[in-house]
Amino acid sequence: MLRILKNPRLIWLVLAIPGIAMVAGFVRDPVTAFDLIHPSGEYSVRLMIVAMMISPLRAVLGRRSWLDWLLAHRRALGVAAFGYGALHLAFYLYDMGDWGMIAEEAVIFSIWTGYAAMLIFAAMAATSNAASQRMLKANWKRLQRLVYPAAVLIALHWLYVDGEWEAMLAHFVPLLVLEIIRVVLMLKRRSARRAKHAMVN
Amino acid sequence: MKFGQAMLAVAAATAMQFSASPAAFATGKMKCDAGPQSGWKSRTDLESKLKKDGWTVKKSKVDGGCYEVYGVTPEGQNVEAYFHPVTMEKLLVSQRGKVIFKK
Repeated sequence: MLRILKNPRLIWLVLAIPGIAMVAGFVRDPVTAFDLIHPSGEYSVRLMIVAMMISPLRAVLGRRSWLDWLLAHRRALGVAAFGYGALHLAFYLYDMGDWGMIAEEAVIFSIWTGYAAMLIFAAMAATSNAASQRMLKANWKRLQRLVYPAAVLIALHWLYVDGEWEAMLAHFVPLLVLEIIRVVLMLKRRSARRAKHAMVN
Repeated sequence: MKFGQAMLAVAAATAMQFSASPAAFATGKMKCDAGPQSGWKSRTDLESKLKKDGWTVKKSKVDGGCYEVYGVTPEGQNVEAYFHPVTMEKLLVSQRGKVIFKK
């Protein structure tokens, strides 16, 4: 059982199942593209948030085996978040079905925030491999940190595109609270270190 | 671009959005006080009227006591529109959260 949980192929498959169901539904009846825009976007957000929560949870709870497990598979979570984002964009483009109108909407705040987040996701997904990690060195980490502005863009995209702020907050507030705790802990530790230094000197 | 600068850019864009067009922020959207549903026109009637006017209706439902319609206007814009369920008057049209018509 535990070994199954460590099989990367199985994890990729599990992460892909909702997407496969969405694509199957779309193939059966393309009219559903409109109804699939929201769920595909929501899956993308959820996977991104789970991936983003791992580090702050470790900072707050310390090392836990289930957090280590999540951390070991963070890349899969992130790439899957990109995958659902791409699916979300594909359903949107299909539903629009008119390049002129797509261009007209692209300048609306709620829409360009989505495109901007998608660009960040694409750059992160494209570099989610060992070779890019080696090549980019310290810049790799900097690039992956773009997930923070991407998260802000996505929160705004969600809020403005359909105004359902309750659903948006339900997803983002837990992450925000964790990040605040993480920063507070970091500052506390830093000042404790400084105090110790001051005593030694 | 440094991380802090990127965050600042997003914050600036958001602030600009809020200050430039507060009306563009269409949340809570619309409330209708149209009495009991027995006095309402049917949603099917609204849909056929819209189709006759050149709209494409993707979906419609009741929201905030109004009829809410997702569809495409005769001008080709993908919108979310609110109608009064008794008078069938158009109350609000929002294109991806940007208000393009308000009664």
